[in-house]
Amino acid sequence: MKRITIPIGPQHPALKEPISLRMTIEGEVIKDADVRLGYNHRGIEKLAESKTYIQNIYLMERICGICSHSHTTCYVQGVEALCELEVPRRGLFIRALVCELERIHSHYLWLGVAAHEAGFDSLFMYTWRDREVVMDLLEIISGNRVHYAINTIGGVRRDLNEIQKEKILEGVEFLKKRMEYYTNLGTTEPSFVGRVSGVGILPEEKAMALCAVGPTLRASRIASDIRKDDPYGAYGEFPFEVCTADTCDVLGRVVVRVKETIESLNIVEYIIRNLPEGEIKVKAPRRIKEGEVVSRYEAPRGENIHYIKSNGTDKPERLKVRAPTLANYPATIEMLKNGFVADIPLIFAAIDPCICCAERFVEIIDERKGSRGIMTMAEIKRKFKKPEIKKDFVWPL
Amino acid sequence: MKLKLGVFIPELLRHLFKRPSTVSYPFEKLNLPKDFRGTPVLRPELCIVCKSCVRDCPAFAIEIETLSEEEKKYRMTIHNDRCIHCAQCVESCPTGALYMNDEYEIATDSRRKLKIEYIYTRPKKAAQKHSEK
Repeated sequence: MKRITIPIGPQHPALKEPISLRMTIEGEVIKDADVRLGYNHRGIEKLAESKTYIQNIYLMERICGICSHSHTTCYVQGVEALCELEVPRRGLFIRALVCELERIHSHYLWLGVAAHEAGFDSLFMYTWRDREVVMDLLEIISGNRVHYAINTIGGVRRDLNEIQKEKILEGVEFLKKRMEYYTNLGTTEPSFVGRVSGVGILPEEKAMALCAVGPTLRASRIASDIRKDDPYGAYGEFPFEVCTADTCDVLGRVVVRVKETIESLNIVEYIIRNLPEGEIKVKAPRRIKEGEVVSRYEAPRGENIHYIKSNGTDKPERLKVRAPTLANYPATIEMLKNGFVADIPLIFAAIDPCICCAERFVEIIDERKGSRGIMTMAEIKRKFKKPEIKKDFVWPL
Repeated sequence: MKLKLGVFIPELLRHLFKRPSTVSYPFEKLNLPKDFRGTPVLRPELCIVCKSCVRDCPAFAIEIETLSEEEKKYRMTIHNDRCIHCAQCVESCPTGALYMNDEYEIATDSRRKLKIEYIYTRPKKAAQKHSEK
């Protein structure tokens, strides 16, 4: 059969964010896939070099709208390690509380998206309605729904009182019941299970070789979680299990995320019941000591890495962000191979892609010469001169 | 795996007799949380013009100009169109002169209307730290 290449994206109804997927197909079967990035590049890393450490907290928050707390925590942890700050335990507990609530809302959101892609819109509406409960809890804690702005260098900005604690426990109770119902629904509803099982297979050894992260990796039998492997913050104290599945397909990814949400709800309950007394933050210096640091963090989508290099001033010399979605792209290509065209949205949604998180670089390719490389700003200006604008232009109307 | 038909049918029936989850917004409003971050507001009598809010604002939304050096007259402009409502200025302020109010319906037809200006003279004695709003 003849092979043809079809482009999907950067603008396509099946995609929520701009990314270009090129599929080589033989009939209905995908034989090869290629991912092209760079449609949502915002230059955040360069901008971070011109802002102070305090201003950068709010910039890091705006890398992503769903895992905004993940990026700030990862960044703040790195800066705290650079200036050797000891964060009070209560601060760490509140930080972990927001982390887990964020994971719950992210997984609820993903479950809805996955159900929608599988054509099960009732589940999508139920999960998104219940997600509002988590969003309200986050609003009660931090003041806003999406950008919590609760992290600061040396601790957290807002404390918890008794009324808030009670409300969180109430919400957790309700969400636990709902999640049990979804566990039952997601694993027994025949139409849903029939749609997601056996789709997007990623064998264990391939997942390991292609460096998949997060629930995508855990759905392929590998129990890897930064919270357990390399405990940061107060995570060494919390009792929880790393959830895995052994089906290696989209159903496995559903099961892992549902189990993880239940674990997160248990962690939230543990934090509220064992919240230590004391200060929530310590004073941080404006100028950060010279040095470099790599900070790791388990975001809802997988391992998030921030690299910070300080030169002793109040601004970072270099800040590099490796979002979990970027690490999952090679595995996605493997999952797409030998699948059907109709499964593309489902397989792609199953890694929980966040394109704007992953857009960190731009590569310039000369189409005529075929050369690739990095250019300086002066070179770009010289090469791509602005077209002259006619000053006294009259519209022909 | 045991397959059951229509696990979600009881849920579906329950929703026939439920009130809607939403509120009819312009007529009915939800309660705001206690730490809601609305629009930054200045209490001019407390400002000592240390400019730490200007230095820390991640969106460069606060400007302080000197109108007259002898009279110690200053003008603070809060560009609410640039503000990202993070409340870092409130945290950086040493005297508690800034606070966030509860306004969230701030949409207008012009950016200029979102500019808030305060013209004030610096108090001779450093005011005492304002207690919590």
